[in-house]
Amino acid sequence: MANRSIQSTGAYLPLLRFERKAARAELSWAGLGGNGKGRRTVAGWDEDALTQAVEAAREALAPAQGPVARVVFASTSAAFSDRSQSVLLSEALNLPRDAETVDLANCRRSAVSALLRALRGPEGVELIAAGEKRATQPGSAANLSWGDGAGAVVVGDGPGIARLRGAGRVNLDLLDSYTSVARGLPYAAEERFTRDVMLSEALIPAAKAALAEAGLRAEDVALAVVPEPVSGLYAAAARKLGLSAPNVIDRLAPEAGELGTAAPLFGLALALEQAEPGQIVLLVGCGNGCDVLLLEVTTKTHNRPAHQALDEGVPLTSYSRLLSLTGGIDLDWGPRAEVNQKVSASVLARHGREMHGFVGGRDQGGNVQFPKTPMPVNPGLDEAGAYQDVILRDEPARVVSITADRLNFTPDPPFHFGLVQFENGARVVMEHCDVEGGAQQVGAPLRMRFRIKAIDRQRQFRSYFWKAAPLARPQLAAKE
Amino acid sequence: MAQGIRDKAVILGMGCTRFGERWDMSSDMLMAEAFDEALADAGISRDQIGAAWLGSALDDVNVGNSAIPLATALRLPPMPVTRVENMCATGTEALRAATYAVASGAVDIALALGVEKLKDTGFGGLPIRTKGSVNDLWMPYGSAPGTFAQLAGAYAARHGIDAGDLKRAMAHVSWKSHQNGVHADKAHLRKAVTMETILNAPMVADPLGLYDCCGVSDGAAAAIICTPEIARSLSKDALVSVKSVQVCASNGWEMQYGEWDGSYVRNTRIAAGRAYDEAGITPADLGLTEVHDCFSITELVTMEDLGLSQDGRAVFDVLDGAFDAGGRLPSQIDGGLKCFGHPVGASGLRMAYEVYTQLKGRAGARQLANIDFGLTHNLGGQPSNSVAAVSVLGRLE
Repeated sequence: MANRSIQSTGAYLPLLRFERKAARAELSWAGLGGNGKGRRTVAGWDEDALTQAVEAAREALAPAQGPVARVVFASTSAAFSDRSQSVLLSEALNLPRDAETVDLANCRRSAVSALLRALRGPEGVELIAAGEKRATQPGSAANLSWGDGAGAVVVGDGPGIARLRGAGRVNLDLLDSYTSVARGLPYAAEERFTRDVMLSEALIPAAKAALAEAGLRAEDVALAVVPEPVSGLYAAAARKLGLSAPNVIDRLAPEAGELGTAAPLFGLALALEQAEPGQIVLLVGCGNGCDVLLLEVTTKTHNRPAHQALDEGVPLTSYSRLLSLTGGIDLDWGPRAEVNQKVSASVLARHGREMHGFVGGRDQGGNVQFPKTPMPVNPGLDEAGAYQDVILRDEPARVVSITADRLNFTPDPPFHFGLVQFENGARVVMEHCDVEGGAQQVGAPLRMRFRIKAIDRQRQFRSYFWKAAPLARPQLAAKE
Repeated sequence: MAQGIRDKAVILGMGCTRFGERWDMSSDMLMAEAFDEALADAGISRDQIGAAWLGSALDDVNVGNSAIPLATALRLPPMPVTRVENMCATGTEALRAATYAVASGAVDIALALGVEKLKDTGFGGLPIRTKGSVNDLWMPYGSAPGTFAQLAGAYAARHGIDAGDLKRAMAHVSWKSHQNGVHADKAHLRKAVTMETILNAPMVADPLGLYDCCGVSDGAAAAIICTPEIARSLSKDALVSVKSVQVCASNGWEMQYGEWDGSYVRNTRIAAGRAYDEAGITPADLGLTEVHDCFSITELVTMEDLGLSQDGRAVFDVLDGAFDAGGRLPSQIDGGLKCFGHPVGASGLRMAYEVYTQLKGRAGARQLANIDFGLTHNLGGQPSNSVAAVSVLGRLE
């Protein structure tokens, strides 16, 4: 345990930010719609808990690491209950095939529990990635206060950016909110009850235990990462514990929403970007109890994905588009949506790893192509040959041709697609994502995003591939 | 070098249905309608036909697999009957097969018939097709206008064409075809349309608006091919010969290799060059063209790919009226795909039907003067992964 430390963090938010005032205006007749303040993140139709976790994990794995020995995926909203998301995440990021893979579900604090276990665990690089895209009912508070997003953390051996000083835990079947398999939507308890009981029965005792184990006092804490299932939780805890540290999560609720399992890891990324060496960070995971970690910052990190994720995006003001993207309404897209998108298990077994990992091949003449083919596309070669694997996800690329297709079915029109040219020579016809406000121009720079390729609506299966997104996201206007 | 097929086969007769929303007609009835006209034109009986080819692209909404539906619909006597499919080049593939059969001496008289029944899909546009179980894992499903729209941006970028100029030239392509379609009694759409209407139409796939897209129709067309000797023995005169038929298909170069800039169609250029050589002509010898105007941008770029405009000049040639009915080389004198619509398996033969009709002097109000050669062109798939077919028909010397 003494040698274990946090090596890096990652954070991801989807592009769209729904303006809550649009819901308030739309729902005023019903007396619903909340206070209309701030924004929530809204995942694209082709994003889910896994794809967002992959993006956060990419950020966390960007600094050089040793080979990843253990991969943990945590979510309460995974799209599959029997298809390992940690295996898919490993394929997407070309992680070792013999890495230990673990899927955690059913508890919003599972990523924090996993982090504690990793910090106390055996040697080796461990990736923990959490993503959420939770279904919520239109009109509910959660529909507007929750957001979609992901966070990730890498734990390894030797000095990193933060180390564990102490931890405390209380398990408690507290139903501040629960989601049953049968209903599929959250059901919330009264907020005042949640705040009082979570505080007194879980958060306070767990925090005290952590401080005791660390040999620290409340005033030693410089930054807090306390996701709040109900507002005011941290303020009340701070009063009772004597904490004066700001809660970095205070930015999340108004700008992105409550991110569930991903919230503590997203907040940890925010905190470690702000903290100075020697400072203490209080990290809390809430959900049927509390895990509290006290971390000592050991090195200043200059990685800013979490700040960038909050600062960049595109406002969404259409309430009906919010409902469509979050599953609140099922629009009739007409017969063109009836195309059969069944994916064969045998095809996936043959080709899935190279698709998920965006693995192309360098032929014997040096040209890179995707996908590999029996005969290389290179006109300079006239016989079948071997390829050297080339991963395309981080390769610079640009638009060769593109259109915004309004005839083709997509759950979020229009359908942007075209030819993409990678700097290493590979050329791929790709769907584009995260395009708002007009199609890209020829020559525009691109970055790759791991997304849902297609949803087989008949069998509720989904396949994954990479899509091309504009290289840069627009800056959001300052908060109102 | 191969001898080619020039003048080894002639068209004995042709037929073409009215194209349109033929709610009262199934594929077998469309096939019979086109065939009856072709047979009457040829002046033979069906048992004189030695082999037949059926062009049908979309089996799920058309006749189904194999060529048996053709044999059954026409009650052909026992003979080799084969279905061909090569996307939008399907009709021309049927013509190529029948012509090759006759030119080789294997068959005296051959039938090529193309048919497509698109309007039973229940929605507009072409059906959405799988790209194969492996490709579906990564390749986007784009609509036909979506794939061809991409020519526009790449073409404009390569030649430094102003987007407004390109949009107006594309609109002129459609305006011209609608003007021509008024005089084509078998066309689906026979109304003239103003430039203003075309330019202000709803967007389908940037920058293609509704009127930049061809219609979607049902239809069938047929050709009966024989040797020149047989045609003469039947006392036919003013014979129309198949001078050349060339097809070129992508091998992935455009879509996977980093050389192509997306602004032209290489397969059309290759097929056209070979077709001119096989026919022994140059583009200057042509009197009309029927090109694959599935979308206005396709026709515009095709003018360069066929060597009828210099690279980067088609926009200005189009706006100058070079390809209008009264221009230097009329294109789509019958209204083209724009007005006939595009029943995929039939279109190549429908184009041949118009060239044949013009060469026979039977085109009525749209008859062109002094033509010796006409060209047909199909482009299947998408510009980045295509099949191009080019044929030249002309008078038999």
